[in-house]
Amino acid sequence: MNTIISTTDLKKSFGSKRGPIEAVRGISIEVGRGEIFGFLGPNGAGKTTTLRMLTTLLPIDSGSATVAGVDVASQPKLVRARIGYVSQLGGADDLATGRENLILQGRLYGGDLASVTARAETLMEILDLTEFADRRVKTYSGGQRRRLDVALGIVHEPEVLFLDEPSTGLDPQNRANLWEHVRMLQARGTTIFLTTHYLEEADALCDRLMIIDHGQIVIEGSPRDLKREVAGDAVVLNLHDSDSVVARARTLLTEQPYVREVSVEGDGLRLYVEDGSTALPQLMRLLDSERIAIKSISLSEPTLDDVFLRKTGRSLRDAGTNSKEDAA
Amino acid sequence: MKTIRDIGLLFHRYTLQMLRNPVWLFVGFSTPILYLALFTPLLKHFAGVPGFPKGSVLDVFLPGILSLLAFASGSSMGFSTIFELQTGVIERFRVTPASRFAILIGPILSGLMMMMVFDTVVVAVGYGFGFQVHWLGLLLLAVLLGILAGMMAAFSIATALVTKDISSFAAIINGINLPLLLLAGVLLPISLGPLWMRVIAHFNPLYYLVQASRALAVGSFSSPAVWQAFAVLVPLCAVVLLWATRVFRKAVA
Repeated sequence: MNTIISTTDLKKSFGSKRGPIEAVRGISIEVGRGEIFGFLGPNGAGKTTTLRMLTTLLPIDSGSATVAGVDVASQPKLVRARIGYVSQLGGADDLATGRENLILQGRLYGGDLASVTARAETLMEILDLTEFADRRVKTYSGGQRRRLDVALGIVHEPEVLFLDEPSTGLDPQNRANLWEHVRMLQARGTTIFLTTHYLEEADALCDRLMIIDHGQIVIEGSPRDLKREVAGDAVVLNLHDSDSVVARARTLLTEQPYVREVSVEGDGLRLYVEDGSTALPQLMRLLDSERIAIKSISLSEPTLDDVFLRKTGRSLRDAGTNSKEDAA
Repeated sequence: MKTIRDIGLLFHRYTLQMLRNPVWLFVGFSTPILYLALFTPLLKHFAGVPGFPKGSVLDVFLPGILSLLAFASGSSMGFSTIFELQTGVIERFRVTPASRFAILIGPILSGLMMMMVFDTVVVAVGYGFGFQVHWLGLLLLAVLLGILAGMMAAFSIATALVTKDISSFAAIINGINLPLLLLAGVLLPISLGPLWMRVIAHFNPLYYLVQASRALAVGSFSSPAVWQAFAVLVPLCAVVLLWATRVFRKAVA
């Protein structure tokens, strides 16, 4: 693999009134050139902190990081010239037009007016912004604004683009549209490193991803491998009877050798089995013989949430709410 | 060279942002004019009162307005810093290779230029009301006003970077502004006040600017107020700028 981002045992802690908080506790990453690499985790997991260290915005406490062949701690200026970064906030000037924003950004990266103007034109075409080029940014919709943020991040044709929670606040349609644009940037040769707490986003977009929680790596791999190796198949079982029956069924199922794990979900149970197609008939026979009435049974493809759940014991959808990052 | 280029780009950006904010422009222009139009008439009978400086009422009041403008335009700079922190603008600039010094000084220079524009309007309107213009005095005064405004801007931006949120920033700035303004004799000269006020005023840097502004407006360069103002403000400005640059480097590494 032609590595473009590599970190070794990256750490960061922040002081607080109750002593230091370890936000990132030893993260080692290897990202290959041309990949879309995802950093998935609940809010407060340390995703943004890691990203901010890689983009020179936060000093690194310990460990090392190399981005585009340059050591981040010792040569931040050189790193800045080679990377693009789109923060959660975006940060385009509301009172300027999209074109003006792009031209200023390009010039801050050192480009001359003529080439920057031409580049702005190209970018607006690529990101479907030409129509709004001369409107002030404050009139942009959420999706348009996000695309402008991305354009601002790649105005200097960086080797690596960092996207922090790119689709936060976008509706599903705009999200899908953004994904398309991100894939197109990849096709043009840009390496993309993104953080997200949306499972669907990580699943749909990333070639490889790393799940992190409490500042540590939980697991790493391609979405497909992770789901296959870790989760197995998920079976969702709804029962007709009361809580006590559900509890009895749970105990019973946990004892079965082909069942990896059982958890209560809503009125029913969610189990992970090695192989769904052979487990289903066995399950039905078992419950029938124990006189537990099944309302419905379904086999579902594992999701990344199943991966997270099995590794951490929590669901990604519930984890980390009310955290610091959430409030920011 | 690159720093100068970056300063130019950010100066231009900031100026454009201000010019496109009609509310800000309106308030900026109308405030000094309102003071001139609605406060000066109240002072009509002050001329000649014991303790009131020599010269016409406008000679005393108009320089005070210029000092007030310098102080206010400098110390309010941090509000846009807070806004730009919260909207991610500063972070966006920070990941570019743009000079850090340019990111700090670009907006300050733009603010100074706008202040000079407002000052010109005040002088022009004052002239209409009968203010005697001493060109050389005003020119020297402009230098002093620039020093004070630049110092206040650096202080305000650094405070904004430290506090990071609008309510604590506003509390600190307002808490500092009011006593400084009241103890500088901006609207009415401190010389009208009791001894203790006149003594305390000497610990207020703004007081020296106001005193010098009144001397320079009537063209009395030899007044000790003039050199005193330079002697107090130049070193103080240097210290504040040094501190602000350090805060900025740390916050915007």
